[in-house]
Amino acid sequence: MASTSKDHVAENEEALNEKVATDLEPGACLESILNPTDSFEEFASEISTSLEDRKTSLTIKSSTISEIQNEIGDSSKESSLRETKSSDNLQAKNESMSASASNSNLLEENEEESDEKDDYLQSPELVNKEKHVFILSSAGKPIYSRYGNEDKLAGLCGVIQALVSVVEEPNQDILRSINTKDCKAVFLVKGPLILVTVSKSNESETQLVLQLTYAFNQIVSVLTLTQLNRIFEQRRNYDLRRLLSGAERLIDHLFIFMEKDPAFLLGAVRCLPLPEKARENITQAITSTCNKIRDLVFAIMIAGNQLITLVRMKKYTLHPSDIHLLFNLVRSSESFKTAESWTPICLPKFDATGFLHGHVSYISEDCQACLLLLTVQRDAFFPLSQAKHTIAEKLRRSNCLVAINDALNRNKELPTTNPLKHIGIPEIRHFMYKCKSTAQLFTSDPISLDRLQDYRLRHKEGGDITVKKIEKLSDIDYVRNYRQFCNQIHCISTPAKLIFRSNSHDTVLAWVTNGFELYVTFDPLMEKDHAIRAVDRLLHWIKKEEQRIFIMNAPTF
Amino acid sequence: MSRCDFKIVLLGSEHVGKTSLVIRFVNCRFNSGTPYQNTIGAAFCAKQMQSHDREFNVGIWDTAGSERYEAMTRMYYRGAHAAIICYDPASLASWTRLRHWLQELRTVEEDCKVYLCGTKKDLLDTGTVQREVPEDIIATYSQGLHGHFLTSSKTGENVDELFQKIVDDCVKDLKVMKIVEEARVQLQKEDNEKNKNYCYC
Ligand SMILES: Nc1nc2c(ncn2[C@@H]2O[C@H](COP(=O)(O)OP(=O)(O)O)[C@@H](O)[C@H]2O)c(=O)[nH]1
Ligand SMILES: [Mg+2]
Repeated sequence: MASTSKDHVAENEEALNEKVATDLEPGACLESILNPTDSFEEFASEISTSLEDRKTSLTIKSSTISEIQNEIGDSSKESSLRETKSSDNLQAKNESMSASASNSNLLEENEEESDEKDDYLQSPELVNKEKHVFILSSAGKPIYSRYGNEDKLAGLCGVIQALVSVVEEPNQDILRSINTKDCKAVFLVKGPLILVTVSKSNESETQLVLQLTYAFNQIVSVLTLTQLNRIFEQRRNYDLRRLLSGAERLIDHLFIFMEKDPAFLLGAVRCLPLPEKARENITQAITSTCNKIRDLVFAIMIAGNQLITLVRMKKYTLHPSDIHLLFNLVRSSESFKTAESWTPICLPKFDATGFLHGHVSYISEDCQACLLLLTVQRDAFFPLSQAKHTIAEKLRRSNCLVAINDALNRNKELPTTNPLKHIGIPEIRHFMYKCKSTAQLFTSDPISLDRLQDYRLRHKEGGDITVKKIEKLSDIDYVRNYRQFCNQIHCISTPAKLIFRSNSHDTVLAWVTNGFELYVTFDPLMEKDHAIRAVDRLLHWIKKEEQRIFIMNAPTF
Repeated sequence: MSRCDFKIVLLGSEHVGKTSLVIRFVNCRFNSGTPYQNTIGAAFCAKQMQSHDREFNVGIWDTAGSERYEAMTRMYYRGAHAAIICYDPASLASWTRLRHWLQELRTVEEDCKVYLCGTKKDLLDTGTVQREVPEDIIATYSQGLHGHFLTSSKTGENVDELFQKIVDDCVKDLKVMKIVEEARVQLQKEDNEKNKNYCYC
């Protein structure tokens, strides 16, 4: 039970349970396509690791991909592929690069250049940003900077590397964060990389660590952990940017996505609301087409950062964070729109050690749903290409493309397009609901594609801190406001189960049970009783629409 | 299993204009407004073409050209009948890389027909960029190959000509055509069997 500020009133949970039907868990179902591991628990453990744990945690465990290959009797191929990036191969490419960067000479070099660097740190490209992100190798070489040119940040990276190692080496300790009056610097050392964010946002340390972990996973997703580790084992001073070219864009987009979409805050996946029958037909089209393709592990259909359906090989589920990386990949890549793509994809939670191979394509010119067919078989392009065309044809014939487009264009007739109007409780301004057992979420005002795009464009130009006047709050603004509540609910030492805060701006109720997490914003100065009655009605509405809002089964091939 | 008669693969460094070349050829357009985006993995397009009064289905693989996918590029050019190796005449670095691709290709697909393609001709013509790769070097180098084209995906100049030449060359190659015919017969057989066993649609 937590009460933070003066205007907080902590509600007794029992009182709430009495008034609200507690057995109501909209969206819950027995079997889930997603692995519902709570990312907060996971990152809480990340934060509490010792230096020793950290060294062992990244050693590679068994590979799910080889497990699947063994099962379908096809192990030789993939392993030979993973070996192709062999040592000599890498060595040869690096001949031109001067070797050896021991700590000492790195720092010297930075001192020489420090005058010029200091100036750069004051340049408009870098000052006044809400959140910086820097990624460097453990040798202190710059890999990525969210703003400015990382080449010119060698000095800063040297300092970061020195800070991290000064705490680590003599004291056997870990540098986790540095706090100043208005700013947090959070550090994450993972494998051969150091990730740092310097933030003035209201995100908590846990939330920031979570974001850095996502950035690390994004890098793993294009390289695999095996390759990442091997590169730096062979050359501590390797310039990783050579291998990441093009992936900076993915990290850029990922941070914007994480700042805006509650899916990250809650470790859940948003589904595209669809009539039950339509989703069933889509799933059916996929299973009936693909059930003869032995190597297929996942078939995933998505649109606008929302899941339409996911069909999987028996025994295997996907972690929400892997799906988020797929969302991010598809959203950030124009090249998928013009042709069928065939690309290696590593899903870090599924198997960080190897690649799956993905056939990625949009369903048709007139429907912006993207189909990903992920297999362990690297020569499977043509059978999958054919499967995709068959699926697209079936969807067209069964009118599913129309249903998808209606949902994407937020057709006014659909109850899920403007839920608040349908629920009919005028005091509710916004809500966000997560079903825990299936790791799926629903909010009252899904960020429309255009708005996220708008934000992206604006953000590209700046990312500066601005004091803007807000006329109508959007999902993005409400979610920003929920961060602190979410943080209290997931606090490791004293987690709150229920928070009720009412003041002259608004009233917020945050509630977590075994089955769900719910965050609601009401008009200012709401009475507790009144709010609780509204929540009860809200839950009943979500229950009524659950088949449309959530994926309530877990289909396999 | 491929439904294409000919397989053409595009190779070359990032940013030389491979994706633009394919989009110009297949979709007859050029995106000048959108900022550059690297190709993820590889992209596949198919186009129906005619040669010697016959129809052929041509499959085109556009590769990323980035170091990250290099180990995987081989699977894209395995079995290729023809390769277009692109360079940007205004970039010496892209020309230097070209030898690398050629070598790679030779070790995997000895019989593959190789065409050199200098890109972004319009930029040279308007004097927007300066040529860095001397023409005589290119001429010498392309002697042992199947052809050299200077194309512009912006204007479309020489793009169709390049692909037409490739298909014509393939059709004239008896060895290639024998395999193509066999594959067609094989596919036909497979299709018939499939339709017998279960309804595919
Ligand atoms: N003016 C002009 N620009 C081109 C031409 N071909 C490609 N480009 C530009 O060069 C950049 C790289 O092109 P792209 O096809 O994506 O290169 P890829 O990495 O080899 O696939 C893009 O910004 C294109 O717009 C051309 O023929 N003329
Ligand atoms: Mg390209």
